[in-house]
Amino acid sequence: MTESPAATRDALAGLIPVSIVTGFLGAGKTTLVNRLLKRPEMNRVAVIVNELGEIGVDNELIEFSSEQMMLLNNGCLCCVLRGDLQETLRDLFIKRRNGEIIDYDRVVIETTGLADPAPVMQTLLTDSMLRDQYRLDCVVTLVDAVNAPGQLTQFSEPLKQVALADRLIITKTDLIEKQPLAALTERLREINPRAPLRNVTNGEIELAFLVDVGLRRTHADLEEVERWLGADEEHEHGHRHDESVQTFTLRFEQPMSWAGFTQCMDVLTALRGPDLLRVKGLVNVEGKSGPMVVQGVQHLFHPPLELDAWPGTDHSTRLVFITRGIPRQVVADLFSAIGAVGAR
Amino acid sequence: MAAEGSLRPGGGAAQLALNMKLLGHHELAGFGGVGEGINMQKAKDGRRILWMAHESAPKNFTAVDVTDPRNPKMVVQTDLPHNDVRSNSLDVVGNIMAVAYQTKKWGLKPAGMDLFDISTPEKPKLISHFDASGPCSRGAHCVFFVDGEYVHLTSGSADFEPTNPKDDQFYRIIDVRNPSKPTEVGRWWYPGTRKGDSAPPPPRHPRFDGGYRPHNTNSYPQKPDRVYIGYIDGGVWILDISNKSKPKPVGHLQYSPPYNGFSHTVLPLVERGYLIVSDECVRDNGEDWPKPTWVVDARVESNLVPIATFPLPPAEIFTKRGGRYGSHNLHENQPGPCSFRSETLIFGTYFNGGVRAFDVSNPMQPKEVGYFVPATPKLAPKGSAQINDVWVDENRLVYAVDRFGGGLYTLETTF
Repeated sequence: MTESPAATRDALAGLIPVSIVTGFLGAGKTTLVNRLLKRPEMNRVAVIVNELGEIGVDNELIEFSSEQMMLLNNGCLCCVLRGDLQETLRDLFIKRRNGEIIDYDRVVIETTGLADPAPVMQTLLTDSMLRDQYRLDCVVTLVDAVNAPGQLTQFSEPLKQVALADRLIITKTDLIEKQPLAALTERLREINPRAPLRNVTNGEIELAFLVDVGLRRTHADLEEVERWLGADEEHEHGHRHDESVQTFTLRFEQPMSWAGFTQCMDVLTALRGPDLLRVKGLVNVEGKSGPMVVQGVQHLFHPPLELDAWPGTDHSTRLVFITRGIPRQVVADLFSAIGAVGAR
Repeated sequence: MAAEGSLRPGGGAAQLALNMKLLGHHELAGFGGVGEGINMQKAKDGRRILWMAHESAPKNFTAVDVTDPRNPKMVVQTDLPHNDVRSNSLDVVGNIMAVAYQTKKWGLKPAGMDLFDISTPEKPKLISHFDASGPCSRGAHCVFFVDGEYVHLTSGSADFEPTNPKDDQFYRIIDVRNPSKPTEVGRWWYPGTRKGDSAPPPPRHPRFDGGYRPHNTNSYPQKPDRVYIGYIDGGVWILDISNKSKPKPVGHLQYSPPYNGFSHTVLPLVERGYLIVSDECVRDNGEDWPKPTWVVDARVESNLVPIATFPLPPAEIFTKRGGRYGSHNLHENQPGPCSFRSETLIFGTYFNGGVRAFDVSNPMQPKEVGYFVPATPKLAPKGSAQINDVWVDENRLVYAVDRFGGGLYTLETTF
């Protein structure tokens, strides 16, 4: 308690963090979630799964209220996604405030193997009720060391799951040799160079790798912002970018006008919305004392939030783009053409 | 299989929380029933002492050292002289504490107000007693004392005979600049509530006759010429007290009926020109629901306009949880070194709805931003927690108290 809290509320703090666990069929999502739920720090979690069977809770189950919701013996809540995720998240929150269910402090969504995580992320960014109560903390993508190389070529979903991840986990690494593992790692690095990557067997992973990734307060410090934005762009150099998915960072030293920035993003989303897989970053807006936090998935953006102050001495605008076939130069040119600033 | 609606570990009313985290809990040595007097002193040795007036006899007041909010320690607990008196309300300015005394029946003593020197928190020293007893007086229900000079008191007096027995208290301004000799310097009562008034007695509330008495009488140094009064069934009053000997009404809002009366606290957002008004829930099991917390536009004092109420969790669920559910006390933006002050973040207590925080940046759309509802305290007579009052300190730590046995909860906010 070194600093006195403001007399107004922090728009980010206190929102319930949501982790999305995704990955192709058989990648070990359920194993990971089960392992996480056994941690004492994770004893007030609401888990949303697609099927009860998947979570394998027969022995853990202590109370059933309906076919859709049950209480696990560690206090966590498990809830089956029926139809609409939006409705499920709303329903959970309303039941929580009424005292009908535990006061969960985190939501973990386990998507189906075939799911595109983008719509799940968009739900959290755009539903006005949900974004007032929840915040996207982390997209964790699990990649099956044995089957991924084939899946990444055959299907479009795994590629997108990897591209959108904040954290990458390669599972079943005990089942393959060093060389193919190195090749897979290289391939994942090409698709998503910014997300930290770990090799895991049996879902054994330290919790800190997966939680508190998203920004959780408007007076975030440098470490928190860097954790959210991912590895610095210097680390991207030397990687051959995957031909279909590209990750790059644009940096602008000079403050820009908010109108200029939104105009650029409007043009991008209008022309290439579906290919703008993910955008996140800090924008130095003329006349503002702190940076604006921007995040979007395809054509949908979270309303911008202003941080209280710049974390650290670097006040340049940093925008991370994960795109499908939009090269860095095109976006940089657009920003230059609209004249907001000159991209470096 | 349990029915849906009981997904709580172990069953019963479990703790509910949103953006508030329990740091510590103190049961006040088994006397965990606290009234609506709660204030924090910064003692001369740097300790942070929370003073609490008890809801009812046998205890008078209790002080707890909350310097470490995770480990609150009781400093002193005092007794009342008999069981027909309650203290209920207190306020602290520097090292002086004012405590209100109200008796169960007219004519009993002590009825009025005590001033204590609390420079040594372990040994509160009585400075003076202001006697407000009388043939038609129960003494004082509430003190508001923030400037070290005047106590704004809700009290009866020896010379006041009400037209209706329920209207036996009124607004009194007590000069305590010499704390050993408190003196009344002004008073005001709802026209028609005193025998001999030219105005006729006001009409009784048709369903819940709570009486025409002031409850909280709030006046702030940044606007010393105003007092804001929740006048129970008499609604909201703003008085001009630039001349303390002649308080003059400048604004009045009456919304009951159709609402159910008991206007309790009027918290002015002085800079913005709004009032936050809480109506106390006084019946169990939702009998007098709704008891809202209102946002009132007071930019034109002579034309007070209610524009919103705080969003509360559904009555159909909470009124069935036992005891009272509805508004009660607010954190009142008191001046002083250990008080949180905000014109946009409001903290209130809602009995079994716990302590709740709201963002009123947009006064027409107040928004819930956090809450804490304790698990049912042991031996809770109503079968639920009944959070009665709240104090928020300058670090935005929240101190919530239970009306019966739950004692003190210290909480951290994360919004």
